[in-house]
Amino acid sequence: MREGPNTVYMEAEEPSQRVTSGVLSKNYASMVLQWAPPLALILVALGAWEGAVRLFHVARWLLPPPSSIGMELWESRSLLLRHTWVTLEEVFLGFALALVVGIALAAAIAYSRIVERAAYPFVIASQTVPIIAIAPLLLIWIGYGIWPKIIVVTLISFFPIVVNTVDGLKSADPDMLNMMRTLGARRWQLFTKVQVPSSVPFLFSGIRVGVALSVIGAVIGEWVGASAGLGYLMTRSAPQFLTDRVFASIFILSAMGITLFALAVLAERYAIPWYRREKQDKAIKGR
Amino acid sequence: MWPVTVGMTSNAEHTPGEGPRIELAKPKIELDGIGKDFVVDRNALPVLRDVDLSVHEGEFVSIIGPSGCGKSTILNIIAGLDEPTRGEVRTDGRPSARRLGAIGYMHQKDLLLPWRTVLDNAILGLELQGKPKSQSRSRALELMDSFGLKGFEKNYPALLSGGMRQRVAFLRTVLADHQVILLDEPFGALDAMTRANMQEWLLQLWESWGKTVILVTHDVEEAVLLSDRVYVLTARPGRVKMELSVDLPRPRRYEMVTEESFVKMKAGIIAALRDGNTRNWVVDDGNGIPTVAEGQP
Ligand SMILES: Nc1ncnc2c1ncn2[C@@H]1O[C@H](COP(=O)(O)OP(=O)(O)O)[C@@H](O)[C@H]1O
Ligand SMILES: [Mg+2]
Repeated sequence: MREGPNTVYMEAEEPSQRVTSGVLSKNYASMVLQWAPPLALILVALGAWEGAVRLFHVARWLLPPPSSIGMELWESRSLLLRHTWVTLEEVFLGFALALVVGIALAAAIAYSRIVERAAYPFVIASQTVPIIAIAPLLLIWIGYGIWPKIIVVTLISFFPIVVNTVDGLKSADPDMLNMMRTLGARRWQLFTKVQVPSSVPFLFSGIRVGVALSVIGAVIGEWVGASAGLGYLMTRSAPQFLTDRVFASIFILSAMGITLFALAVLAERYAIPWYRREKQDKAIKGR
Repeated sequence: MWPVTVGMTSNAEHTPGEGPRIELAKPKIELDGIGKDFVVDRNALPVLRDVDLSVHEGEFVSIIGPSGCGKSTILNIIAGLDEPTRGEVRTDGRPSARRLGAIGYMHQKDLLLPWRTVLDNAILGLELQGKPKSQSRSRALELMDSFGLKGFEKNYPALLSGGMRQRVAFLRTVLADHQVILLDEPFGALDAMTRANMQEWLLQLWESWGKTVILVTHDVEEAVLLSDRVYVLTARPGRVKMELSVDLPRPRRYEMVTEESFVKMKAGIIAALRDGNTRNWVVDDGNGIPTVAEGQP
């Protein structure tokens, strides 16, 4: 008896149903479980902060209560927004440059042994040089414009992208590469059709780390010398004891980092839908 | 002379006019005194020794042997993924240095690309050959039904069952359209029912299509049911222990497994496999059931 499409359907639908029904009912519970503890912790911490500051009459310039930071966020919103845009621009441009440079470098390193030997030590060495020491030099060499900040952001965030992408390009299953060879694949086809797709999940984990670092990079760039941006605003506000403004800037910067991280996660889901399925599949079959 | 052949098979020193008609042509694939050593921890690990094997055009040949005896290594060598340490591989009678990419090979694992849909996995070979995509796709779509994949063209491989994944891998191999196809334990990971169905399905497909097939298996029944000839290998280092011609009529049906001649051939292979660790000879005692004799003849 030949195996008809009917048997085939049954075979295939069984595991997929297990995934959806299992994950759907679990999804809701796990979302609550995932978000409830950090939310509760934040609320408790803010409440304790507010209570302590009021109870002990701590001066506002020393430690403002969360409520006055919230007020500051609202009242200085146009000022904060203006500086936020500046920082965001530096983050975007610097990170975009890190992506381009990082991916190109990773591709060259993974494709050519010679490039790997020549360039990889410098990629690693670049991380041992403290960025905070390079930033003033950039100022001397390039001046006060946006470029020194972009370069600091790039320097700080390209490393996780390069390292992860190189690992990803090298992670391609050797059996898969052999299978491709028996189908007549050339070196370049192995690279573009197996190595590159295998590396995408790795690239995205590099992006998640890099994007969070890039916010830090922009602030460092602005501390050293700038006329706008949240980092600049902080360095200007602190000597004037505008402590709630410093806190408001910190709040916006972490919100920016978290949002960018979340965007990277979303982009990953959208760009490589097969990857989550593969992971689910492995979880079910225990492979 | 090693190996002793059983049944109707003529051996390596065959002279034209003596055996079946098919032997007159030059073998499509010929392994001549193949030896393979791997280097493991700086020691040579002998995996294959003096393997002679030939496959003619349109023939279905199985290689059976204990696990780890070098079956996959033989296929890797035939496919050109690996080179033998000793001996020569010939295709169409000529030594063939550039056979990689010219012989179809379905590996033990399905090796589907997880980022490609079923359809795009299937057309991979055509794509690598530079064929236009839309044309390849419509060719693949025509075959989806007979491969039991209709309705799943746009699915990613992750949620397909093992049997379906194997069929996608098989379709990919078939579509690449090579004259010779190597199959490495294609049904090894499947449960018994699916496996029996797949064997029958492969039989129908092959009989309607007449390609040269070399199948590696560790299932004796599968080897006899599907093949024109069966090679039995010893444990590592693998050599050919027995070569058996399966003279059952075609088309084959699964019911044949209970026929007397089928059972005899099965018994013969099992005897040879049992004895795979020793250097004893397999002798045909005249009634079709090979027995194992001590020492060298
Ligand atoms: N690339 C390799 N390097 C070292 N040893 C290998 C390699 N490939 C296979 N072997 C060894 O060769 C033997 C035969 O392997 P294989 O051909 O896969 O066996 P089979 O397919 O018959 O189970 C095994 O012992 C295996 O460990
Ligand atoms: Mg094997």
